[in-house]
Amino acid sequence: MSEFPTPTTQVPESRVPETQLHVLPSGLTLLLEPDPAAQTVAAGYFVNTGARDETPAEMGASHFIEHLMFKGSEALSAAQLNERLDDLGGNANAFTSEEATVYHAAALPEYTPALLDTLTHLMRPALRQSDLESERGVILEEIAMYADQPPVRVIDELRADYWGAHPLGQPVLGTVETVSALTRDALARNHRERYGANEVTLAVVGAFDPVAVLAWAEAELQGWPAAAPLPTPPLPAPVHPSTVRVVHDPSLTRVQLALSLPGLPTTHPLREAAVVLADLIGGENGALYWALLDTGLADGADLAHLEYRDTGTFEGGFSCDPDRAQLVLDGFRAVLAGAADLITETAVRRAARKMAVGTLLRAETPHGRLFTLGMEHLAHGHPSTTADLVDRYTRVTADDVREVLRLCPINLVAEFPPTVVALGPIEALK
Amino acid sequence: MGSGRLPLMTIGAEGQAAAPEVQTGTGQYTSGPQVWLWTLESGLRVAYERRAGPGFALDLRIPVGSAHDPVGLQGSAGVLEEWLFKGAGGRSARALQDAFDDLGVRRGGGVGPEATRFGVSGLRADLPGALALLADVLLRPDLPDSELAVLLDLARQDLEGLEDSPPDLLAVQARSVAFDGAAAAPFAGFAHPASGTPEGLAAITPTSLRDFLTRYGGKGSVLGLVADADPDEVHALMAHAFADWRSGQHDLVTARFLPGLRSHLPFEDGEQTHISLSSPGVAPLHPHWLHWQLAITALSGGSASRLFHAVREERGLAYSVSASPVVLGGQGFLSTYAGSTPARAPETLEVLTAELGRLPLGLTDAEFVRAKTGLTASVVFGAESLRARATSLTRDVAVFGRIRSVADLRGQLAALTLNDVNAFLEGYDPAGQATTVTLGPAEVGPADAAAEVNHV
Repeated sequence: MSEFPTPTTQVPESRVPETQLHVLPSGLTLLLEPDPAAQTVAAGYFVNTGARDETPAEMGASHFIEHLMFKGSEALSAAQLNERLDDLGGNANAFTSEEATVYHAAALPEYTPALLDTLTHLMRPALRQSDLESERGVILEEIAMYADQPPVRVIDELRADYWGAHPLGQPVLGTVETVSALTRDALARNHRERYGANEVTLAVVGAFDPVAVLAWAEAELQGWPAAAPLPTPPLPAPVHPSTVRVVHDPSLTRVQLALSLPGLPTTHPLREAAVVLADLIGGENGALYWALLDTGLADGADLAHLEYRDTGTFEGGFSCDPDRAQLVLDGFRAVLAGAADLITETAVRRAARKMAVGTLLRAETPHGRLFTLGMEHLAHGHPSTTADLVDRYTRVTADDVREVLRLCPINLVAEFPPTVVALGPIEALK
Repeated sequence: MGSGRLPLMTIGAEGQAAAPEVQTGTGQYTSGPQVWLWTLESGLRVAYERRAGPGFALDLRIPVGSAHDPVGLQGSAGVLEEWLFKGAGGRSARALQDAFDDLGVRRGGGVGPEATRFGVSGLRADLPGALALLADVLLRPDLPDSELAVLLDLARQDLEGLEDSPPDLLAVQARSVAFDGAAAAPFAGFAHPASGTPEGLAAITPTSLRDFLTRYGGKGSVLGLVADADPDEVHALMAHAFADWRSGQHDLVTARFLPGLRSHLPFEDGEQTHISLSSPGVAPLHPHWLHWQLAITALSGGSASRLFHAVREERGLAYSVSASPVVLGGQGFLSTYAGSTPARAPETLEVLTAELGRLPLGLTDAEFVRAKTGLTASVVFGAESLRARATSLTRDVAVFGRIRSVADLRGQLAALTLNDVNAFLEGYDPAGQATTVTLGPAEVGPADAAAEVNHV
């Protein structure tokens, strides 16, 4: 028998072991996915809060808190915490999104106790006033850095238009004004209210002893403070104005354009089919590529499906020469209008398989698997195995994708036009 | 998408930032995965590591990069790589892309200053299919004349896009200031981006590019592969796929560094001033390579490293600050970068220079231990994912001439002492020879006039 199995459209079963879920008495969730064959161990605190939980005056608070967590606990100075993180091998990092804040690190298996201890110190920040001021400078530099990146600027402008007063329209970093004004009290209150045990999941993946880690967690995480559930004020509806707005900037040489249309939420059963639809239109081998890049009209064009707790969008765009902006936008709309014709059994199977293989191979390292495990848990309230995730893609049919298009008629560009923002040295678009 | 605590990319002044690597002494594989290194008829070397698992990853590195662009034809390597995918082996461009997608494989790679890479990863059963497609692209491309105008125009757009991206513009500028262009002749060398120059793109023709393609071949090329398959079958598969490949040309482009220069590129509407310092480093085959890697890890390897601490933690001067090793023309260089708003930029530059300047005084014991841990962990993490391992196999053979095992690298690191590293650092002065290039709304003057006077 040949060493190479016969290629089939099937994706093999993942060898990933079972995931254990424990809810500690404090309310904190522990997810353990031991894999004795792994060469490393990865751990992450996934906090179920992000920029959309901020008031407009406190925009940027979630991200500011994320930075301050690295400034030490009552027991450790910032320098000591940084040294401990580096002693693990320097793989610690964190990120803040609209709905989640994640602190993660990976290490060699023999460092597992130190990894968990250090990450847990990080989760008990002192929030010292002196640290706050130097970190404010760092964040203002981060804002300035992104302000020099037109593709980032245009997305911020688009989301402000599309979401209006809905908090998903708020920039994760906040603005120079809100970040300059955030006080220690405000940050400490946000931290207290949003980092309660019920909102926190610790996930551990890779080469570790699950019995020992559970015992450690029961001892060390028992006192994690609870927090009252956050008030859930009625959300303003997304505006989705279907406007075309031009942000004129004569200093730029090219036009960046971004557009958005309604999509499906994370919890929707057709979520994977929505991702496949986005790929047929705006993936590497999608219709936008062949219409706009292969012809040289634009040097970048894409469409993706973005999912949030209770809503979703199809978001995409392009960059092109200023004098081609109208032509390319018209071409983009024409591709959207033809979306129904892209949905064939062959094309769907091809795209779905690509997603399934990608999902399987991403799970190959503990650090890669950690993010999927933690984020899926935050989204659905239960862990999903890699095999489940792969299976959800391989089961997508052309009918599923057609149903997404019926629910989200992004092809009806005349009746439901996208919301568009263009940034660059142009005056007008229609 | 979220915003992270640490920037995801470091911005090097020259070439591709290299991951910290270490050099081994004798290549002994006492434990760990099995590896094979074969040389095929064309000269192509194949480095294969057998590893259990459902996936495969391959990385082919051809030693033809933008530095090899002929003078006057800048952009050749970049445009050629795109052209190769416009149909091959009897498939149109679109059918070719569909065929890759049918396998569910992921493609990667691109054109760097010294090499062009083709990466493919997917499920093990699809390795033969993916390899056959890659061989079609390299050995049997259509190269339709009709597609070239579009590709040249896309390269022109890419080049104009640089004007809207200050850090990328700085990287190009830093390389063109820090390296003597004439030394690279007859090649265009390191002064231009992979997209080329407007003049170069205007001069490229189907004939000039077909000529340029004859540089591609087995000589100097390396294919790294990680998969779970019988080595004899893998060897047969490779020999078959690349049976008719030409030898090609393998030239090392000379990188002559120009020390001690200072240059500013005005960028009026920028929010930040971007700072680059380029300094000499250690060559990959030099006995001090590992000492240098360890010193760079102490300088810029983590949140407790010197640059992160002094620039960001202590003073809050920048979000993005880093120093990375870069290998060009067989030599090593240190590339240091930071971005600060204009009012803070002079202090940032001063702190960067001071930190580079105190390297010759040596590391503390704690710094040394931490850097060693970090470098050891990065060796393990670098070998963990299939794609990362395939890339490091390729790089090992291309840059170091052999496969370096994780166990061997860890042993080499363990043997290194603080005295070894500090003795090396005594003679290493990256600040004294740095070439500084800045880009932003205003030239970066001295932070403190009094201090400047004292120097005089």
